[in-house]
Amino acid sequence: MASPSVRISAVTKRFSGHLAVNQLSLDVYPGGIFGLLGPNGAGKSTTIRLIMGILEPDEGSISLFGLLDGSRSLSARIGYLPEERGLYKKMQVLDHLIFLGETKGISRRDARVRAQAWLERLGIADWAQKKVEDLSKGMQQKVQFAGALLHEPELVILDEPFSGLDPVNAQVMKDIVVGIAAEGRTVLFSTHVMEQAERMCDHIAIIARGATVVNGAVAQVKADFGGRHIALAFTHDKERAETILADRTLVASIDDYGASAELQLVDGADPQALLAALVRERVGLRRFELVEPSLQSIFIAKVGADAAVAHAEMSA
Amino acid sequence: MSMQKIFSVVRREFVERVRTKAFLISTLLLPVFMVGVFLLPILMTGTSRTSRVAIVDASSAAVGPQIAAAMQTEKIGTRPDAEARYSVQVFPAAEDQLTAVRDGLVAKTGFGRGAGTDQWSGVLVLTDATLASGKLAYYGGNVGGLESMGKLQRTLSQALAAWRLGKSGIDQKLVKEATAPADLQTIKVEDGKLAGQSGEQSFILAYAMGFILYLAVLIYGQQTMTSVVEEKNSRIMEVLASSLTPFQMLLGKVLGVGSAGLAQMAIWGGSAALLSSQSGAIGALFGANAATLQSLPIPSMSAGVLVVFLLYFALGFLLYGALYAAIGAMCNSIQETQQYALFVTMFVLVGFFAMFSVIRDPNSTMGMVMSLIPFFAPFVMPVRWSMTTVPPLELAMSLGLMIIGLLLCTWLAGRIYRTGILMYGKKPSWREVWRWIRA
Repeated sequence: MASPSVRISAVTKRFSGHLAVNQLSLDVYPGGIFGLLGPNGAGKSTTIRLIMGILEPDEGSISLFGLLDGSRSLSARIGYLPEERGLYKKMQVLDHLIFLGETKGISRRDARVRAQAWLERLGIADWAQKKVEDLSKGMQQKVQFAGALLHEPELVILDEPFSGLDPVNAQVMKDIVVGIAAEGRTVLFSTHVMEQAERMCDHIAIIARGATVVNGAVAQVKADFGGRHIALAFTHDKERAETILADRTLVASIDDYGASAELQLVDGADPQALLAALVRERVGLRRFELVEPSLQSIFIAKVGADAAVAHAEMSA
Repeated sequence: MSMQKIFSVVRREFVERVRTKAFLISTLLLPVFMVGVFLLPILMTGTSRTSRVAIVDASSAAVGPQIAAAMQTEKIGTRPDAEARYSVQVFPAAEDQLTAVRDGLVAKTGFGRGAGTDQWSGVLVLTDATLASGKLAYYGGNVGGLESMGKLQRTLSQALAAWRLGKSGIDQKLVKEATAPADLQTIKVEDGKLAGQSGEQSFILAYAMGFILYLAVLIYGQQTMTSVVEEKNSRIMEVLASSLTPFQMLLGKVLGVGSAGLAQMAIWGGSAALLSSQSGAIGALFGANAATLQSLPIPSMSAGVLVVFLLYFALGFLLYGALYAAIGAMCNSIQETQQYALFVTMFVLVGFFAMFSVIRDPNSTMGMVMSLIPFFAPFVMPVRWSMTTVPPLELAMSLGLMIIGLLLCTWLAGRIYRTGILMYGKKPSWREVWRWIRA
């Protein structure tokens, strides 16, 4: 296997007594989409900032493309979209993109050609001469996205790339991210939206309280989680199912969404017995399917308690 | 590569700044203001016009005509065909009529030009008592004009002295010779050569240089600071920090803002040069005569002074720009910066005010010491260079220390910048800043 594009080795980062990242180790191999998942405050953004060399680790080391030079000297090969989006508000869109390209080391002329191509592709070419502040938030995000990708980096690091986008724009961005991976380049992105990660990523790492909880290929993560999972969807009379679903000899855990639910059976329990019981009680069923565990349920099972604590800490 | 990145930052700072309306307006307004300052003396003062003075003579010796004669010999300017400075008429009056005559004349005094035919610029009253004490009363519309009053006082002093001496029996011709005033013409010497500059001109030049630097440092230094805070607030900083080193960002910013400032100064300097070279034409446009224009001190700058000034201007601006940028990096809002910026601004102020004392005495020990301290040298040294002869060794030492100071300040600012630009939340204490520097 090729050397990892990103290798984080036992990195620790403290902020005035608070442990943001704790002995974190992570490898991201070239090609494909890597999802960095975790609840709010888990240390996702800190980890990304450490990779980008914006923060220095207190302990441990980070290598990019097998080099310890730091991301700044390799910035021509890396594209970065920070969690906190920011652009010069008074600058014209095209000028801004050209400037961002220049800071990545591409020539002015080259940057201009690429910036125009990106604006065309994102459907905002008409806004090229407008000031950034005249654009809607969604359009500004697109500009920033283009700025991160202008120099065609082989490693793209996106911190919460889809947050704050409407479904149409999110779709456009998703297509671009998938396209980058299809070209054999590497994408590392963070999110706390599990469905998105589930559909896009081939590798994930779930981190909580600054440490890795789960790490690996998505299929492997699911296989390792194990158990028999059933997805249910109700049409009517859901309340009649409640005693059955509460039966801890049959159902190990349940993730209830109201109109649907995902549950994990107790080891050795028979799915047929569950179905028979539900039919007997005349529960209206739209869906009854044996499924792989979703990342969401893995996430909740692994970090549910931590996430709750983290939330409590943040609100305290 | 890295130079290219710095250059792209410099260009962005320069272009974005020069494009703003504020830049355009301030660039245009100052020359307009300068023209105003230049024309104001021409338009406002009446010194270039003949003053009509009425003398109410209530003295027993009838001194009036003699003083009137003395006043009438005064001319405006030095040319042979110059106009008389005063047109004088004597009104003899008995002691008891004095008040009535005086008030009658005063009633026709102090109107605007062309308000009436019997109009006086001023009324001078002579009595035995005032002649004895020398405290003459003058009622005029322009008594606030220091220069014209000074001239009148000198003329009257001479006339009075002549009259008193004559009264003691001394020959009038002798009196005239004895009381002829001395006129000092000051000409500056530079490197043993005549600089072709009067003392007054070199004073104005020195003052102008100090003032320009003071303005540039305050305006553009603070702009550097503000724009760093804005970059922090717009969160563009993190994008930049992923591809540029803090030092590249700092240097690019200070140089970019500085070159915008320099461009503005160049426009101003150019228009000032144009103004002074075309002073005759512009003056004529406003109806001022050549003699008045000659009396306006418009300095010319020798190449040596210009080089020294530009050198110190650049070094001083970079030094203060870096410090202001560091302050910006420490803060999250413009309000917050004020408290810290005060420390830097204080140095600017001390340097600026030291300049005044140095202008008065360029060879003082204070001036010498100040021109060795990097924070003050940019203000003090060009002034000294333009006003007196500074030994080359002293200049070399001052420049050397200036460069060392600049490097130190840039290094310091770079350390603060590195940590500060990504720090949000509460403003740091000095102790924390010290930790950033040592880290």
